[in-house]
Amino acid sequence: MAIVPEFLIKRIYQKGSLKKLENGVSVNLKNILGPGLISGFNYVKINDVTFEPKDVKFITNNTEYIGTDVSEDNPVVFRLGQTGTLIMTGQDCLQEGTNKIIIEALNPEAGIVQLKADDTYQS
Amino acid sequence: MEVTFDKYSLIIDGERMFIKSGAYHYFRTPGERMARDRFQKMKSGGYNAVDIYFNWNYHSPAPDKYDFTGIKDVRKILQAAKDCGLYIIARPGPFINGEVNAGGLPFWLLKDEEVIPRNRIGTEYKYSPKYMEYIAQWYDQIIPVINEFDNVILFQIENEYATDSMEEDYMRELYKMARERGVKCPIFHNDAYFAGLWADCVDIYALDLYPYINPNQNWKQDNFCFDTLDNVEEIFRGAKEDSPPFIAEMQSGWFDKWDGSGYKHIRDALGDEHINIMTKTALSQGVTLFNHYMTVGGTNWGNLACDEVYTSYEFTAPIDEFGVMQSNFYKAKEINYFVDAFGFTKTEPKDFDFYQENIYAKMRHDLENDCDWLFIRNMNPQETDIQLPFDKQIKLRPYDMKICPINLKLKGCEIEFSDLEIFTRLQNENEDAVFFIADDKANIYIKNGEIISGNKKNFEHLTFKNENKTTQFVFISKQLADKSWVLDNKIIFNADYVLPNGAIALEKNSEIAYFDLKHKFAKKHYVVNELKPTTKKEILKISSVDFCSPEIDVDYDYSNWQKVEDKTDSLSCGMYDEFVWYKAKLPNTLTEITLSARHLFAVYINGKEVLNRNSYKIEKLQDVPETISIPLNKTILKNEINELTVLVQNLGFDKGFSGDTNNPRGLVHFETTPQIPIKFYVNEKLSIERDKKWESENPYLTKITTNFDVDIKDNVFFGKYISFEDFNCRRATIFLNGIKIGRYIKRTHVQDKFYLINEFLKPHNKLEVVVWEKDRNIKSKWGFKSDIKNVKILIGTFKQYQLFK
Repeated sequence: MAIVPEFLIKRIYQKGSLKKLENGVSVNLKNILGPGLISGFNYVKINDVTFEPKDVKFITNNTEYIGTDVSEDNPVVFRLGQTGTLIMTGQDCLQEGTNKIIIEALNPEAGIVQLKADDTYQS
Repeated sequence: MEVTFDKYSLIIDGERMFIKSGAYHYFRTPGERMARDRFQKMKSGGYNAVDIYFNWNYHSPAPDKYDFTGIKDVRKILQAAKDCGLYIIARPGPFINGEVNAGGLPFWLLKDEEVIPRNRIGTEYKYSPKYMEYIAQWYDQIIPVINEFDNVILFQIENEYATDSMEEDYMRELYKMARERGVKCPIFHNDAYFAGLWADCVDIYALDLYPYINPNQNWKQDNFCFDTLDNVEEIFRGAKEDSPPFIAEMQSGWFDKWDGSGYKHIRDALGDEHINIMTKTALSQGVTLFNHYMTVGGTNWGNLACDEVYTSYEFTAPIDEFGVMQSNFYKAKEINYFVDAFGFTKTEPKDFDFYQENIYAKMRHDLENDCDWLFIRNMNPQETDIQLPFDKQIKLRPYDMKICPINLKLKGCEIEFSDLEIFTRLQNENEDAVFFIADDKANIYIKNGEIISGNKKNFEHLTFKNENKTTQFVFISKQLADKSWVLDNKIIFNADYVLPNGAIALEKNSEIAYFDLKHKFAKKHYVVNELKPTTKKEILKISSVDFCSPEIDVDYDYSNWQKVEDKTDSLSCGMYDEFVWYKAKLPNTLTEITLSARHLFAVYINGKEVLNRNSYKIEKLQDVPETISIPLNKTILKNEINELTVLVQNLGFDKGFSGDTNNPRGLVHFETTPQIPIKFYVNEKLSIERDKKWESENPYLTKITTNFDVDIKDNVFFGKYISFEDFNCRRATIFLNGIKIGRYIKRTHVQDKFYLINEFLKPHNKLEVVVWEKDRNIKSKWGFKSDIKNVKILIGTFKQYQLFK
């Protein structure tokens, strides 16, 4: 069971940030929950397409992290109020209108943290 | 007592009050005498309130049954707090967390299938009328007792609660239930997510803050952990504009777990700097109500612990499990005395244009003292020079934080600025004496241009006069400040501690100094003559070794045990004790049994141990289930019908913060190959607790008995322990005069000293240690019997003080 209720985790997602890139898609996050560490990315799922950690990049505080490089020994500091961009590459996943997004990450204290959000995309 | 509030502070009988509270668990520090001791120490450290969880489970063994007698008499606890001059923050749950078994919910409640504990499954809200009915029963019991005490200033409903959809029905109903039962004071909830949750359902919004929850974390390096605290005023104002900022649980320590690194590690990691930063930063954010969680450490005796925590709940609290003040107590005392000296109940944030890397700075204007306070913190790992924008430079030690007065008017002078910290102030109409903690790197700047260096010896003093008014500055070292105690506008120096009734506690002969404005300084010599030397631990002489698990023996009569109807887990069977026994018959046609049990268990077939396992594992706050298969053969199943015994030790139910309180314990799963139905019979407790007939031939559980005497005197305070540092067995349960006071599991390395709880000590004591698992390499019964002869149990005294009245 998640330690933090879903509605609170959802607040991390910045609504309207879903963007199509040349070879992928990006979303923005803002930590409004409290200071913390991200100790891993399990996957990102957009609609029916799952992105493995190797295809996930997190850019925050001017540093780029590949999903597979983030671990308990090498966590990403994600401070209160800090923003970050998550970039998924290698697969088409967007659809016109509402898109379902699931980001599953790890935190050293809370374990699995699953963020579920909906966001719209218009080409 | 009338308790109101505005956006600044609580107002008690018309007077603004800064609430400096400390958390204390009466169930973990049992009995009125221990409560009085701890409350007096809190009061002497400048706390003016005690936060008390009321543990429903501790009082209610069965529906409609409540026990408020003996050490469970909460009236005596509340009266002790009142007698010591402490306000009470009452937190009767129904859910409390506190790392207690099932979060404080009664076991019988968890068994009831109509009950959904906390009206939620996971984080999904699900209202349970039956649960609310039982809460009403609990509130009917506890609230009338709380209402008898007019020093109760705040009342909490639920604790750290959230659901996905945040329906308000439950919280609003709890609020209504409390009011209907006569609760008059403001009601609050403690929001663990600092997200403004339930602010509209209560009178005062409150939250908890624990920046350090991972002992592997280096908070000094990861100093971002204070981000929330550094912005907490904004959270309060966003949640509820008209109520005072209240940190209902403010970290002053942290609990250790079975898989933790021990309390010494946590105490060393937190140091004194952490409580200093927490408390002063809270002040810088306008907080006027805080509760140090915990202020008094305790012991998980009996079945108090949830599965995460071991016997000691010392929590690295300012007053430790033994009742001994630790260095973070002295730091808390400094801040509490300082707050008492200046009030701090009505301040506003003030613009302060300043930036320096890793320096936190905040300015507040004090509307009552008409001065400003600069709160400044250094998170650099080295001493740092800080150039302030108003032409003053200060030096701050690494991880230090100071509160500096600006334009502070005293009776005989005005301080323009000081980075020499004020310890306390005594005053009357025309005179005040301000005590500073000497620091050779700090200065006091007087409005007339004079600069006073903080490089001073103990009791050096200066006098300032302004017309007919006088101010005296007195300097004391940090070491002396730790041993200085404010009592009724008087200061007593050089005492280990001083109780509010004036009793002075000393470890050794001492010269005590006194100061008050009328008589100035006086001295008196005290001779300590009641204490015995404590340096050596003694080996307790073993008086008997007995084998005490007849349940394992073949042909043991279990016909009067309860028959298991359906599920074997302990809740389903209504067995709530730590130890649960299972008996069954197995035919010799089986080739394998498969089982899962929480948490430690052993399997015996025909009186012989076939498996002894510690299945306890928690990862990311969740139980990790383990299922084990045991292959069987004709050597094990040597009879046509064979006798199976399973003993399961449940380390506690989930505390209910992130998991469900009713997660199963005991024998959770059992199946055979080939699959056949097995009829189980079940009973709880170790046989020595259950009845007098416990003698046995098998050595798997062995009871070691020792006796020792304790010299109990009214004028001596002591904390005693037994030590298992030279103990050669792997698991043991410890009983002092028949009361379970500890659980030892060698492989965890987290605890080998156990507090001999003063409340349970008598002049002549019996200590029984039931050893369950001996050395891993010893397999034969003879080996077990031989091994036990070499067991060493030590007894020692941690601290002792003579009290002079």
